Amino acid sequence: MKVLTTNFLKCSVKACDVSNDNFPLQYEGAKCQLVQNENIEFNPEFMLNILERVEWDAVVRVVSELGNAGLPTTKPELPADADQLSEEDIIILRDLHTLLIQTSITEGEMKCRNCGHIYFIKNSIPNLLLPPHLA
Amino acid sequence: MLPTPYVKCDYEKVYEPAEDSFLLLDSLEKDLQFLQTRFDGNLAIVCELGPGSGIVTTFMMQNNIPSHNGALYLALDINPWALEGTLQTATLNNCIKENGHSGYLEPVQSDLTTGLRDKQVDLLVFNPPYVPAEEVPEIPDTKENIDQWLDLALLGGVDGMEITGKVLDSLETVLSPKGVAYILFCARNKPEQLVQKIMQEDPSWDIELIEHRKAGWEVLSVYRFMHK
Repeated sequence: MKVLTTNFLKCSVKACDVSNDNFPLQYEGAKCQLVQNENIEFNPEFMLNILERVEWDAVVRVVSELGNAGLPTTKPELPADADQLSEEDIIILRDLHTLLIQTSITEGEMKCRNCGHIYFIKNSIPNLLLPPHLA
Repeated sequence: MLPTPYVKCDYEKVYEPAEDSFLLLDSLEKDLQFLQTRFDGNLAIVCELGPGSGIVTTFMMQNNIPSHNGALYLALDINPWALEGTLQTATLNNCIKENGHSGYLEPVQSDLTTGLRDKQVDLLVFNPPYVPAEEVPEIPDTKENIDQWLDLALLGGVDGMEITGKVLDSLETVLSPKGVAYILFCARNKPEQLVQKIMQEDPSWDIELIEHRKAGWEVLSVYRFMHK
């Protein structure tokens, strides 16, 4: 799954919904296999739109767990319209495209910070199903 | 008329596209303009619950539903075979492109929306297991219990509404403020009564019948749910 998708997944355990620790899940960098597909082309409009939507703190946290500590702690301020992007803006967006869209976790583990349940990613597909006693 | 995706899956493992699937495609096509206006080229997080063969998600990706500027298409199914089928159908119809403009497909194995961050889904589509049955089948222990996976795609427990009921209850939590949901019913689910009841309890809901059709001995309908 794309690194972007980590921004939309939380723990499936209902009791964790009252906690603030059920999102984002915690990714164990050493157990996550990352693959980059450089052929996925850059779409500045999509990047601008998705940045508006993502929870930035969660992006920074997950990306750093996956081994990249280079993201700024605050969300980059960018123009609303792709036509008004400066060269520097484009560099920022391209970097984020590489991180969020081109990079996938193909195998790995993610854990709920609240209940500690571990979910697996296999063949790039995250599995958020719970065992019967937790569902 | 928009093209229908080409689908070739193992129908012993995933639900074969049928009248209900096509009614959903027709509903989305009918609402194409509505959806484009509502999302106005903005990003959309799309979520199909129980995609099965992947025909509906592929149709949306093929036709830029709901937005031209790309979307993240989350395909959530409990059945591992369905996730494989969805990827296969999207690939077969050339929807997994690398030009970055057709959106991105992300299959996720999950039980309905329990694993999704709140209030993110802009477009939700659901062709549920709506056939009335004594109970909802248990989730198979292994991927190899093929017949049981198929039962899970069909049988909806009492009134065929046990699964759909869960999704309706979670709509408020799952949909974004602009979010729209298309859900399929059969007549035995008593959708008219249900819709009236929801709107009476919370008048901020705007629910409309988009399409209905007689299919064999079933009458199927698709309703659109959103907030006014």
